[in-house]
Amino acid sequence: MKTISFKIISIHQLLLFQAITIVCLSSCDSFVEVDLPKSQLTTVSVFDNYSTANAALSDIYSKMRDQGLLSGTASGVSNQLGSYADELTCFASPGDPTLPFYTNTLLPANSTITDYWNISYNQIYAANAVMEGVERSNELTAIEKGQLKGEALFIRSLVHFYLTNLYGDIPYITSTNHKINNAAEKIKVKEVYAKVIVDLESAIALLAPDYKNAERIRPNQFTAKALLARVYLYNESWPEAANAASAVLNAVNLYAIEDNPSIVFIKGSKETLWQFQPSASGKNTDEAGIFIFFSSPPPLVAISNNLITSFETDDLRKTNWTASISDGTTTWYHPYKYKEFDYTASSVEYSVIFRLAEQYLIRAEARAHQGDLIGAKEDLNVIRKRAGLADTEAVSGQEIINAVLRERRWELFTEYGHRFFDLKRSGEINSVLSVSKAGWNSTDVLFPLPQNELSINPNLRPQNSGY
Amino acid sequence: MNIFSFYKDGKALYCLFFIWLCFSFSSLYATNSISRSISFAQQFQVQGTISDGSNPLPGVTIAIKSKGNSATISDYSGQYTLSASPSDTLIVSFIGFKTILVSVQNRKTIDISLEYDTTTLKEVKVNAGYYSIKESERTGSIARITAKDIENQPVTNVLATMQGRMAGVSITQTTGVPGGGFDIKIRGQNSIRSDGNNPLYIIDGVPYASDPIGYNQTSSTFPSVTSPLNSINPDTIESIEILKDADATSIYGSRGANGVVLITTKKGKGGKTVVSVKATTGAGTVTKFMKLMGTQQYLAMRKQAFVNDGLTQYNPWDYDINGTWDQNRETDWQKEFLGGTSQITDLQATLSGGSDKTQFLLSSSYHTESTVFPGQYMYKKGGTQLSMSHRSEDNRFKLTFSAGYNIQDNDQPAYDLTSSSRYLAPNAPALYDTSGNLNWENGTWQNPLRFREAKFRSKTNDLVTSAVLSYEILDNLVLKSNFGFTDLRHEETRTSPSTIYNPAYQLTSAYSGIYLNNTDRQSWIVEPQVSWEKEMTFGKVNILAGGTFQSQTTARLYQFGSGFTSNDLIYDLASAATVRVLYSDDALYKYQAFFGRINYNLQDRYIINLTGRRDGSSRFGPGNQFANFGAVGAAWIFTKERFLKEISWLSFGKLRGSYGTTGNDQIGDYQFLDTYISSGFNYDSNVGLQPSRLYNPDFGWETNKKIEAALEVGILQDKIFLTAAWYQNRSSNQLVGIPLAGTTGFQSMQANLDAVVQNTGFEFTVRTQNFNTQNFKWTTSLNLTFARNKLISFPGLSASPYNEKYRIGEPLNIELNYKYTGIDSQTGIYLFEDINKDGAISFPEDKQSVVDFNPQYFGGLQNQLSYKRWKLDFLFQFAKQENRSYYNGFAGQMSNQPARAADSWIKSGDNAAQQIYTSGYNEDAVTADYLYNQSTGSITDASFIRLKNIALSYDLPLGTKSTQCQLILQGQNLLTFTKYKDGDPEFIASGYLPPLKIITAGIQLTF
Repeated sequence: MKTISFKIISIHQLLLFQAITIVCLSSCDSFVEVDLPKSQLTTVSVFDNYSTANAALSDIYSKMRDQGLLSGTASGVSNQLGSYADELTCFASPGDPTLPFYTNTLLPANSTITDYWNISYNQIYAANAVMEGVERSNELTAIEKGQLKGEALFIRSLVHFYLTNLYGDIPYITSTNHKINNAAEKIKVKEVYAKVIVDLESAIALLAPDYKNAERIRPNQFTAKALLARVYLYNESWPEAANAASAVLNAVNLYAIEDNPSIVFIKGSKETLWQFQPSASGKNTDEAGIFIFFSSPPPLVAISNNLITSFETDDLRKTNWTASISDGTTTWYHPYKYKEFDYTASSVEYSVIFRLAEQYLIRAEARAHQGDLIGAKEDLNVIRKRAGLADTEAVSGQEIINAVLRERRWELFTEYGHRFFDLKRSGEINSVLSVSKAGWNSTDVLFPLPQNELSINPNLRPQNSGY
Repeated sequence: MNIFSFYKDGKALYCLFFIWLCFSFSSLYATNSISRSISFAQQFQVQGTISDGSNPLPGVTIAIKSKGNSATISDYSGQYTLSASPSDTLIVSFIGFKTILVSVQNRKTIDISLEYDTTTLKEVKVNAGYYSIKESERTGSIARITAKDIENQPVTNVLATMQGRMAGVSITQTTGVPGGGFDIKIRGQNSIRSDGNNPLYIIDGVPYASDPIGYNQTSSTFPSVTSPLNSINPDTIESIEILKDADATSIYGSRGANGVVLITTKKGKGGKTVVSVKATTGAGTVTKFMKLMGTQQYLAMRKQAFVNDGLTQYNPWDYDINGTWDQNRETDWQKEFLGGTSQITDLQATLSGGSDKTQFLLSSSYHTESTVFPGQYMYKKGGTQLSMSHRSEDNRFKLTFSAGYNIQDNDQPAYDLTSSSRYLAPNAPALYDTSGNLNWENGTWQNPLRFREAKFRSKTNDLVTSAVLSYEILDNLVLKSNFGFTDLRHEETRTSPSTIYNPAYQLTSAYSGIYLNNTDRQSWIVEPQVSWEKEMTFGKVNILAGGTFQSQTTARLYQFGSGFTSNDLIYDLASAATVRVLYSDDALYKYQAFFGRINYNLQDRYIINLTGRRDGSSRFGPGNQFANFGAVGAAWIFTKERFLKEISWLSFGKLRGSYGTTGNDQIGDYQFLDTYISSGFNYDSNVGLQPSRLYNPDFGWETNKKIEAALEVGILQDKIFLTAAWYQNRSSNQLVGIPLAGTTGFQSMQANLDAVVQNTGFEFTVRTQNFNTQNFKWTTSLNLTFARNKLISFPGLSASPYNEKYRIGEPLNIELNYKYTGIDSQTGIYLFEDINKDGAISFPEDKQSVVDFNPQYFGGLQNQLSYKRWKLDFLFQFAKQENRSYYNGFAGQMSNQPARAADSWIKSGDNAAQQIYTSGYNEDAVTADYLYNQSTGSITDASFIRLKNIALSYDLPLGTKSTQCQLILQGQNLLTFTKYKDGDPEFIASGYLPPLKIITAGIQLTF
């Protein structure tokens, strides 16, 4: 019995063995092929469809809102450049990333400096990827393509503009090709400006004057013009700056100065050119979260004495846009442009990146430089009037220019580093900050290039001087 | 597909099973029938007792030579009974003892005393994965530890059990927090990718993915994210084999480059059903604190810093010296935060037994461990292991099944307090106010204990099952298949409740948040194999061929919830005002291979071993999926040669060598795809899409060529046993996430790099049996490794992103440093060599001094002593290495410093070790300090000798043979000798809790 059953088994077993062998050999190639994972879309298919292409673009805005230079968090430039210049006094504990900004002791390996760089170029990559994807797409309409490409160009120019103002000579990245970008060469600040202007002009040609929807959370043609006005101003191209600002200021059907300073930063402000939609409904701005405090001493930063004492008496901005906390002996002030610290039923305030007041001040300065003193004063007085102040008493061109710069300090404080950039371009930075900041060095006008970048890309060497 | 075909032929198995069932019943009557059928051969009953000289041995197999079916096993009192004829010879065998042959010669009572098989370790069968081989006949390099060593150690991680015990295996504990990880390198770093150097882990034939299951937002307590390896329960392990050279690893092909760790779990033994219960309790503390400044020294430093900076007034925020904080307070923050005692308890129970055909083992364990941090934190681990082995009456069919299920539950603070304990000013305020609430001292400090409610919690459920079925279809032809299934479910959270903020900020639970990580991983594997073995006149041949089909799915879901109505609801995601999915993905990894081995053994003298594998992996793009690997190994047992037989002192001698290739596919899944992925962020009513990666479809396998030559010598009946091995591994076509400039938009991209990395080394092991008498036994083993890692070639290094990271001819684990030259006696600032003579210390030109962080040599020295009922086992681990001293920022700011920094430069002409203090306004000093920490000045000797493990046990004399009671005392890291000043010398990332010093006491009952 044993032998008989054994034979049956061996036949079965041999069959099994054969079956396994056949399966093994036949499935050889297909077994290790895997399908696309459920969470990923091929790049080609993303740009075959407007809604996914739009999602690729709008993701850049949420990134800009949450991280990097333009974010309203403590790591954004509103806080860091406020501390770096003379707007804010820092009270943070040792180890806090704001502290080296405040003491002007940034080192090449500083993680915020590195993050600004990496996050910015990641945003630029995403913008370039949208442009390239849109270019290749056969499915998107010309109008859709224009809008997507226009916004991507706007993002690319905006981020490069900030980078060059912080780091000086930088590479201008226009493709997603890592082989080129990995060894990208620095170009001079002037050349960066030229490229920013070219990009912005293309963006203006592509973007529609109207907003995509009721909330001004996507840049339109006028936002691009507003940035262009700022670029020309920094570049000291006065007529062009005045023209670009005028184009924005003339769009009276869209924009107007809000008479009441306390509603300038709310979601529906008529003064807003471009604002960030918060990450969740009911959430308000990150700026409110980092600047407002309820007890003393301040947890992170407070407005510097220097700034708070500079306000003219009765300036509504001091009463509306700052608030104070006192422990009986000392009083601390915090920025109060954004007032909603907590969640609200629906969001009340959005972070405003571009607003009309800046355009008036740009045109005032540009007009003064061109000798149009009356026009300059008119523009300046629009801003002073809203602040509850009398018309300017400045007479000469230089007096008006100085008055505009002072006004910019009061109007635009703790907004995206305006004060630092204004000090730089006016040439006053060393004389002003070496007095008010114990750690200030003349080489601090530029950030160090990130150590890691220098080590990877020799074309970025040498390091900025002083580091 | 192949599973299906297996089931299709399942009838055969049922048939087989049924038949064996019949046979196994018949065996109940076998004694009768056999004795009847061969009664003419004068059968009679032989009986006796088997002992080890003093104690009876249960479970010993007694068989009759050349009579396959007549065997028995000794009972619990060592007694046996067996039918035999006068001419028969008994074969008495038991694991761990020498097998002996005894002629019956008409005796009816034969008492047998077995000798411990300590000298013939070379006869032990070593697991080589797809096959096992006698130690003396192996051609490859395999290191091994067994349960005996593992059980001596009060540790919970499988890698901890191997520390210091194996040549060529360097293991570093990365944190002393329970549930944390270990870093392992087998024969050095092969891959430039820092996360591409993990060995392949195999538990009972089933690959166990060691890829991390943590998430950096949740595993914040540890220096690296959670590893699944903690799930493996060391108590269930019978042996761990590490395969190192090409001969041993090539059969694992693409996954063998970094070595293979084979874990074999315990199996039941036949004989009396044995119950063993063990209870242990103990305590752990930090091995060594860093010597920091006290309040006096610290305040003197701070004041001097302001004097140095020319400042006469303290800033309002210099609370430590401006009078806000008590100037006379002094707290040892290390003692406060890390000075606690970790309580350890461990319970284990094992039940095993069976017959000589079927054996089982069931074990359970439960372990708890608290931490040294202040607060109630607990790590709990429990598990069950079941194994069942069966072989048919005719020994043709064999089945082994084992299943292990382990649960871990970890509750830890979200942040390690080690770095806080080192930088806090010694006069910083009290942690609690008089009413017992957290003290914020009017907002002048960030109380480190604010994070006590911010918790890291994890739960891991892990199942590993395996089955091996084999059937000998024809004589010497065995058909076999491994089946495995693993299922790991891991859940991890980190909370950030509003209580971490000063209550004065008035942040409510609307500001509380929770990060969640759910990672589930399932895999199955089927490995059909056929092996054939034949002893012929011209030698012994072993042939093995097989295939592997493996599929692994990893599902990851990372979420963030914020805005709670109450902090008590923080673990309830449904109560969060906002929930964001940060990452959601199912990754499928498929792997397929064919492998084979041919082993030829001529006269037990000349052995040649050929192995090969063809691998396919879904991790590569079309066209790059398949690759071939293979190796040849050979051994010559020269002591078997006639001309050496005369030398009596030389008991064993073997020369072996191997050469072959292996590969590495540890790069993550889908890296070759050009895709977009959801970012999880909302904008303008869209969930954003972001580019997944910089894509490169063309990367392929990394290959690793290994050569080894070794000599094994046994002297004086193997009382001294030496192994000396030399190896050289070269990995090329390096598959790396090449670091890219930020201007590319990303930090890295997957690609092959035409660089060659070489690891060479000498490994020595010596085992001596110093004493081996009835009462006193003493063996010593030493392992010593000299390893050298070297970047051999790297075309275009100077133009590559690695140009300031690597140097040709130097190891990978180097750092380029500024060369520290001393302190400028005039300015008191650190000086560095200005190599390019440009008058400034510039990067990268002046940062060129190479410092190697690899150990020059490392090893372990183990002694095992036993005297009557006492056993003592201790292991010293040592390493010769350098590391960086701890960095607390520049001296003079509000951050404590090592006590040695008190010796600072103050005035012109001073000769001090510490540069001028600054409160932060002396930019030259701040910069010099920053450079100092990247200079040779901060490199220090971090060598150590440490009493890694000590275990003492005593068998209570109970007077009964059936019950044993053992008292056990164990210690881990009890003594450390080191010159390293900044705490424990064992770390990879600084600022994390060092390994703990543990002492435990336990009792084990076996009956």
